[in-house]
Amino acid sequence: MNKILLIIKREYLSRVKKKSFLIMTFLTPLIIAGFYGLIIYFSIKGINDKTDKVAVINENKTLTEKLASNKNVTYEYVDKSFENLKKNLNKSDYDYILYLPDFNIDKPEGIELIGTKQAGLTLDGRISDSIEDLIRDYKLKKSGISQTDLDNLKSKVSILTKKIGNTGKEENSSAGASTIIAFVAGVLMFMFIMLYGVQVMRGVIEEKTSRIIEIMISSVKPFQLMMGKIIGIAMVGLTQFLLWIILTFSISALAVSIFVSKEDAKKIVASSSQVTGTNPGTQQFQAAARSDSPFGNVQKSLENLDLGKIIAVFVFYFLGGYLFYSALYAAIGSAVDSETETQQFMMPVMMPLLLGYALSLSVVTNDPYGNVAFWLSMIPFTAPIAMVVRLPYGVPGWELALSMAILIIGFIGTVWFAARIYRVGILMYGKKASFKEMVKWFWYKG
Amino acid sequence: MLSVRNIVKQYAGHRALDDVSLEVEQGKIFGLLGPNGAGKTSLIRIITQITAPDSGEVIFNGQKLNSNHINQIGYLPEERGLYKKMEIGEQVLYLAKLKGLSTAEATKRIKYWFDKLNIGSWWNKKVEDLSKGMQQKVQFLATIIHNPELIILDEPFSGFDPVNADLIKNEILELNAKGTTFIFSTHRMESVEELCDNIALIDKSKKILDGAVVDIKASYRNNTYRIEFNGDDNFDNSNLFDVLEKSDVKDGKCIKFKLKGNYTANDALAYMISKVNINHFAEVIPSMNDIFIEHVKR
Repeated sequence: MNKILLIIKREYLSRVKKKSFLIMTFLTPLIIAGFYGLIIYFSIKGINDKTDKVAVINENKTLTEKLASNKNVTYEYVDKSFENLKKNLNKSDYDYILYLPDFNIDKPEGIELIGTKQAGLTLDGRISDSIEDLIRDYKLKKSGISQTDLDNLKSKVSILTKKIGNTGKEENSSAGASTIIAFVAGVLMFMFIMLYGVQVMRGVIEEKTSRIIEIMISSVKPFQLMMGKIIGIAMVGLTQFLLWIILTFSISALAVSIFVSKEDAKKIVASSSQVTGTNPGTQQFQAAARSDSPFGNVQKSLENLDLGKIIAVFVFYFLGGYLFYSALYAAIGSAVDSETETQQFMMPVMMPLLLGYALSLSVVTNDPYGNVAFWLSMIPFTAPIAMVVRLPYGVPGWELALSMAILIIGFIGTVWFAARIYRVGILMYGKKASFKEMVKWFWYKG
Repeated sequence: MLSVRNIVKQYAGHRALDDVSLEVEQGKIFGLLGPNGAGKTSLIRIITQITAPDSGEVIFNGQKLNSNHINQIGYLPEERGLYKKMEIGEQVLYLAKLKGLSTAEATKRIKYWFDKLNIGSWWNKKVEDLSKGMQQKVQFLATIIHNPELIILDEPFSGFDPVNADLIKNEILELNAKGTTFIFSTHRMESVEELCDNIALIDKSKKILDGAVVDIKASYRNNTYRIEFNGDDNFDNSNLFDVLEKSDVKDGKCIKFKLKGNYTANDALAYMISKVNINHFAEVIPSMNDIFIEHVKR
């Protein structure tokens, strides 16, 4: 046991002291904080600051109602000839010319948008939306609907999703917030398992190619060496995760206090308090509907998600999933002489992880309580990712417990399996290993 | 002190060791010889408990070999290396602690040995900055740092220049004088003759020869002598011996001859003294190299 501790210590310290570890640890939260800052920034300012000025030449006899300007596009109706305006566009202060010919109202064709620069998809979409609205309004009015009715039809809807928690209490939630958390957790889990699993494999290959392995195993049992390495690297992963959380929160807090002005901060608080309200129920719903800041909504829902529980479960599944996969990576590392030979063995190990990743971020986020989600979070190959993705949506306690139990049995199984291959593989030099060979090693005695 | 009894080790498709038995005596240097692929490394891996035999047993100091013995054995493998990115001092300390030494004790011993092997200033150097020969020194040190009772060296001199090979050889002899037992696996027969008390020769998974080096060599004596002399006689028609070989040397002639019947070396010498001036007279004893080649070729 003492020997395993020594090995864990070396594996841990030799990695934590590396420059690349320090750089990764400090740079990643900066990047995350940067993204977070951008989201805040845009939720305040709006993504497009610039207003495009569009000259409208309307030759259409039916469409007499004018396009309404909004904060992104200003429409100005001009009474000039299209050709003339085109020639002088560079000198004028218009960004674009919108030409509406005398088209059939049921078949709008021949509309042109000409600018000094190519109009982007967003602008294109905005303008065609405006024209479509205009045509629809025209048609609706023609069929006898009054202007007041028409105005009443227009409403802006933001849905405040809620769920009844385990305690029977209504909880504020937002599909958006859950999805964001689910994505982040899923991607992080995938990254962590991959990154640290491969580190185990590299470590084993390094010991094999540098031939220290022979010296080591005359002092310790191969199983001790393998477990020491796996546990040591797991602790590196946990250290990094912990530092990321601490650093991300502190850098974000710092950045907010420096870069976000007081007025903006008030705006954020106002928008989120608007959503919060004091009375649950309809009042809140109306408040939410009035609020046009999705940021406040997400922010509030984030507070309602049990982040502590999510982090604890994440750590469990990281450890479980990592142990499950890293043992397999250790077995691969022991069977080869260099990293270039690992390809053929990596595939079968990577596939279930990739599959779990892809399905979790598509099927599971769409239907977090469905059959696919359930089974993915039970099978130990995919459970680590699938379960942390499901978690923000809420998972029944017994499912969580069952999935954890299966994962524990799973990693004990892979560790045992991998150890039998590892103890033979590390002593095989220069032989090209195959799956057949590895099965043979598995059955070796002693 | 170490008794290997009827060891059999089977790998898929081939038998690495076939009923091998040998005895290593306390305080001796034991040579384990054999061509490549004979099974030496397999045997060493069983003694160091890296692998287990299919049948047979190993007795260490009267006890069946078990994990308590790991710290009493030092092993320098032929395929050896170190962690490239680790500092030398830290590395030897790590290996010593894995052999059960405390940090304080290990540090003390490492300092002592670093000075003794003239590598006192290397503590903070990284392995990747050292030459191969320098790395060998560190590996040798890591093998003996925990004062094991039995030290197993697999090709210990490969990669050393003559000066450092000599340094290591003297350390081996010094440790041996203090009572440490050695098993010494090598192809270099001159170092076998120089160092080993006993040997075992393994070929094609079987032990084909063992015993004390002196005895083995004695049994290969075949009454052949070599003489250098000045004089006219060619000894072509002597009835004491047959001349096997004639040659010219720097200041005279040289012949190799084999005694006939029951004649002794003294008889031959007495006869020759009467005819020529003798400069040099010696028995021709086959070297371990010759014995090795003869056995393996058979």
